[in-house]
Amino acid sequence: MLSELKLPDYREQAPEVAARFRRIKERPIILSVRRLQKTFGADDAGHVALSDVSIDVHRREFICVIGPSGCGKSTLIRIVAGLDEATGGEVLLDGHEVCGPGRDRGMVFQGYTLFPWLTVKRNVMFGLQMGGDSHSTAEAEARQWLDMVGLSKFEDSYPHELSGGMKQRVAIARALANNPRILIMDEPFGALDAQTRCQMQAYLLQIWKKVDVTILFITHDLDEAAYLADRILVLGTNPGRVVEFIENPVPRPRSAAQFISPEYLALKKRLEDVIHPQVESAEEEKLPMVKLTDAGDEVE
Amino acid sequence: MASRAPVANKDWLGLKRELPRRRQLLLTILSFVLPLGLWAFVSYVPFVWRPLVHITSAGDVDYFSEGMDVPRADFESENAKMRAQKMEPAKGCRVNPVYLAPPGAVAKAFYTAFKTPPRLPNEPWLHESLGHSISTIFWGFFISSLLGVPLGVLSGTYRFFARLQEPFIEFFRYLPAPAFGALCVAILGIDDGPKIAIIFIGTFFQQVLVIANTVRKVDPALVEAAQTLGASNWKLLWRVIIPASITDIYTDMRILLGWAWTYLIVAEVVGAMSGITYFINQQARYRNFPNVYAAIVMIGIIGFSMDFFFAWLGGLLFPWKRKARVGKKKRAWMPAFDPKPASVAVEI
Repeated sequence: MLSELKLPDYREQAPEVAARFRRIKERPIILSVRRLQKTFGADDAGHVALSDVSIDVHRREFICVIGPSGCGKSTLIRIVAGLDEATGGEVLLDGHEVCGPGRDRGMVFQGYTLFPWLTVKRNVMFGLQMGGDSHSTAEAEARQWLDMVGLSKFEDSYPHELSGGMKQRVAIARALANNPRILIMDEPFGALDAQTRCQMQAYLLQIWKKVDVTILFITHDLDEAAYLADRILVLGTNPGRVVEFIENPVPRPRSAAQFISPEYLALKKRLEDVIHPQVESAEEEKLPMVKLTDAGDEVE
Repeated sequence: MASRAPVANKDWLGLKRELPRRRQLLLTILSFVLPLGLWAFVSYVPFVWRPLVHITSAGDVDYFSEGMDVPRADFESENAKMRAQKMEPAKGCRVNPVYLAPPGAVAKAFYTAFKTPPRLPNEPWLHESLGHSISTIFWGFFISSLLGVPLGVLSGTYRFFARLQEPFIEFFRYLPAPAFGALCVAILGIDDGPKIAIIFIGTFFQQVLVIANTVRKVDPALVEAAQTLGASNWKLLWRVIIPASITDIYTDMRILLGWAWTYLIVAEVVGAMSGITYFINQQARYRNFPNVYAAIVMIGIIGFSMDFFFAWLGGLLFPWKRKARVGKKKRAWMPAFDPKPASVAVEI
């Protein structure tokens, strides 16, 4: 269907979008990934998860990372977060090489990972206290963040008493409370139902608007990427590599109404094309020969 | 169309489906009543078993005497001989063996065992015996936990400690604790020392391995989340790994305490016999079987109620494990999102 429509080029940008990207590029580079290499297993026989990945991210950019499964998107952000070590290349945050996890890179995981033994408020206080804040300072700060994500009423609840969307909001508050330079999100809304997910995406944009944070957001949902991102990093498989770093032509502020705008559809088509190249012909060839009777529409 | 009753109400044998509350309660009661009923049935109903004959008058049988219990076959054959010789046959009534104490007698023994003074002046009362047993268990388990829990946690957290201690412990755990009885007596004397040592040996090695395994099962995502929030090393251990595994460690401890009880009986025959085992042995020697049963059941009751107590205490200690009580889950509806300006807000 998409191919039959007359769509603009996804690289065409409306003047306000182009101006926004110019402004973004003037901002300092906050995260710089240079010639990143990651091999699992022995050196020669090992599986190459990432090969020569280089990206620059500007301050307060919203980057979405997409790609087919096995393209190494999780590996990439785990290295940026310091949870995995690269076998080659480097990751610079504000010009300094990262080594190991740290408070300057907050992370939100798909599985919530709230500490079940702590109340909501104490979960948010955790990072602050790790950073050396006193109980009362951390508490005041945590209250502000809970207020921000709209969960003040639940500060004394335990995580198991919250719904999935609420847990993820606590996780976001917990990560942001540390005042990180970048917020890394690994398919954070993947486990949520479609409706909550849309709600959460809108929440995230509203929060991002108020906080000076750069976001690196992994997803496999093209609509999510198109709705959230400034730029979309498309990774490919075998070995994991950068296929394209697409500037999102959809103007901000974004809304669901844009899902049928020409820019949106052009972007979506481009994403489909780079992620599933020639899927149809390949699939058709591989279809096994199965005896099927053509029953038509009739049922007796 | 007939309206369908909820399936749960019809189906007693629903696969993996929880039963209604009242049925749960009923089955719980039955699980105790059924074995008790069987016991009472065999004990009280005549001609169910009763393999012996209690002689009330010996007649002319030489080796029978009043008050003796003889097998029924012997009784019949002797009496047949007597009748053939026109002599007076023995009389008696069928009884169960003395070791099958009827439930009523055991129930009475529960009361009388505490009230009856010991036969010999230096023998302990029942409650003294029980107290002795409990204190032996306590010290054995306490000393074992004092060492075993920290070692287990370290072993589960750091590969260094796991590699250093687990191979030896894995080997040692196959050595049966009772085998050390003689050695413990030689080293620690015949009083409580060797008994506590046996319980220690029986518990400690399992404890380290079980707890290490539990700690190893802590969700690595929680550890990673904590790392990205700035926790490292000791803080990671104290603030994440221990709290994340504490409830499972607690459950392990409850199970291990059960094992300690099984080692108790072995421990108490080492050196000078003591505690509840001594009491049971003495009572069996006096052929006072109701007291023997009462003492055994007492161990069960103590173990069971301790476990109950610890389960209840666990609920108090770990409020986050208190999932919403049966039935409705308390779940808040997602409130409307109304982002308010936070202090960190910056202009875009």
